[in-house]
Amino acid sequence: MNAILIDNHDSFSRNLEHLLAARLGHGPQLVSYDDLPNLSPHGRDLIVISPGPGWPGDYPGYGPWIESGVPVLGICLGMQIINEHFGGRTDRLQGCVHGKTEDIVFLGHTRTVARYHSLYCSKLGPDLELTAGNAQGVPMAFRHRTLPVMGFQFHPESFLTDNGGEFIDHALHSFGIA
Amino acid sequence: MPCTRSVSLDAQAFLALVHRLAQDGQADLFLSGTDRPDESRCVIGFAPRAELILDEGTTRANIAEFCFEAPGPTLGFISYTFGLGLRGVRSEKSTDFPLGHLKQYGAILEYDLTSGQGEIHGSDGLALDELSTLAHARLDSPPPFSPPPATAVQQSMTRDEYEAGVRKTLEAIRDGQSYQLNLSLRFSRPAPDLDMPGLAMDLWQRHPAAFYALFHSGPLTLLSTSPERFLRVTNGEVLSQPIKGTLHFERYTPGLERQVTESPKESAELSMVVDLIRNDISQHCEYGSVRVEDHKSTFVVDNLVQMYSNVRGRLREESTVIDLLLDAFPGGSVTGCPKRRSMELIEALEPHARDVYCGSFVIIRGKRDMDSSIAIRTCWHDARSKTFSFCAGSGIVVDSDPQKEYRETVAKAEKFLVLGTA
Repeated sequence: MNAILIDNHDSFSRNLEHLLAARLGHGPQLVSYDDLPNLSPHGRDLIVISPGPGWPGDYPGYGPWIESGVPVLGICLGMQIINEHFGGRTDRLQGCVHGKTEDIVFLGHTRTVARYHSLYCSKLGPDLELTAGNAQGVPMAFRHRTLPVMGFQFHPESFLTDNGGEFIDHALHSFGIA
Repeated sequence: MPCTRSVSLDAQAFLALVHRLAQDGQADLFLSGTDRPDESRCVIGFAPRAELILDEGTTRANIAEFCFEAPGPTLGFISYTFGLGLRGVRSEKSTDFPLGHLKQYGAILEYDLTSGQGEIHGSDGLALDELSTLAHARLDSPPPFSPPPATAVQQSMTRDEYEAGVRKTLEAIRDGQSYQLNLSLRFSRPAPDLDMPGLAMDLWQRHPAAFYALFHSGPLTLLSTSPERFLRVTNGEVLSQPIKGTLHFERYTPGLERQVTESPKESAELSMVVDLIRNDISQHCEYGSVRVEDHKSTFVVDNLVQMYSNVRGRLREESTVIDLLLDAFPGGSVTGCPKRRSMELIEALEPHARDVYCGSFVIIRGKRDMDSSIAIRTCWHDARSKTFSFCAGSGIVVDSDPQKEYRETVAKAEKFLVLGTA
């Protein structure tokens, strides 16, 4: 599978690379966000947008990637980038959470996931469907109603997340590329 | 002609030997402490025969060539400032501190504190003879350390400025720029006649820790009393032991550790750094090999309970310890997360250069073997300016209290601050 992982200057991208390698059977192409203008989404089977510092507005240029028709998975900042692309909003989270776990209900099961975020999707884009929220209603996962696009606010690649690989598997199955 | 000689030394004889070697200025000491039975290996480099002083132009290939072309271990340090260049972080601060200094030696003494047994090896016959003679001589115990008279200590930030820095850090965290950031203070004081070898031996006996180093670098004498391992590689097996979570106590009582391990704030701090270290070693570790063991272990050093974890992996066949070290540098526990953005913020928030502080002391034995520390609890004497300097810092997270972080920072510097005032 031709998978690309775009690193938004983050310090968890290599964890995500290793997690993807474990599920795909081989590593994704790992590229820096700085190289985005020199790359194209075409011909790829999976695009993963990494976490990272700052706000979605700090990372212009993802539009053609999200619109390409190639399946896109966004993690944390990556999810917020997708959300803003589809008309959603990002705001500061009161009492931001870093390095802590939380139990959420995902696909009918209670799952323990790691959270690292100061910002959150305060309003989802109209074509995005919430698939998991936490007890306070903070969006934890969404998917696009018609496109192969999905976002996780939590960090499946963290060692604090139980069976993080299953979230990757879920995305691959939903995209029909497992 | 390489050769090996055995030596048997009791604790007093070893102390007398390393003190003498340090005083002569011809030896660099990497000492474990008596506080942790699992860390008892000491390495003494004697009669330097080659050196590499790092500057802005030093490349990975230069370092690898220096370390791997000749047999025998390489000892030295790499400064935090060198790490700024590695991570692409611009700095406007000037420094007259070398960005790193690596040395190879005519003779090496490897000594185990637990067994009292040692080995001298090396390629320089004269150095071997000289070191063997000293090791077998009945040397006098070092005289008690006489601290220099107390002089006024200058801080790079006042208490108010440091606490304001913490508040700015908290604002950056709330804005999603960082999850955690290590903010430090630099202290310095005039010290024209400071006996650094004497200080090293005195601290080593009274405040043992696993990663002591006494290292000569031109006019600088560096002393690290670090309890923290950065990266060890043993035949390709990688181990990092990040420390986060600190509790200061006056008198130890059993169960005190739980105050750290059960604290949500301290646990979150450690977890963040564990995820960061996993990331940083993953670049050069085989897929599927990176794992976390013994999460939230503790040990006690200097009236502090410290919490740590073991992060392990398997070095890729095509990578060397230099690749691993330079791509994971500086250690995540003393930068922040995400690392590059946090280092940019640190450059703006701290008025001082960190120099060796938060860099690493290293023992490089081969392409798949090394050990290294995080250069915290580290001080240095500069013979040019006749000053004694040190830094200390704290990890700031969203629920940090500025006043408490200042107190924690000063507590970590205490054994250097009280010098001459006791």
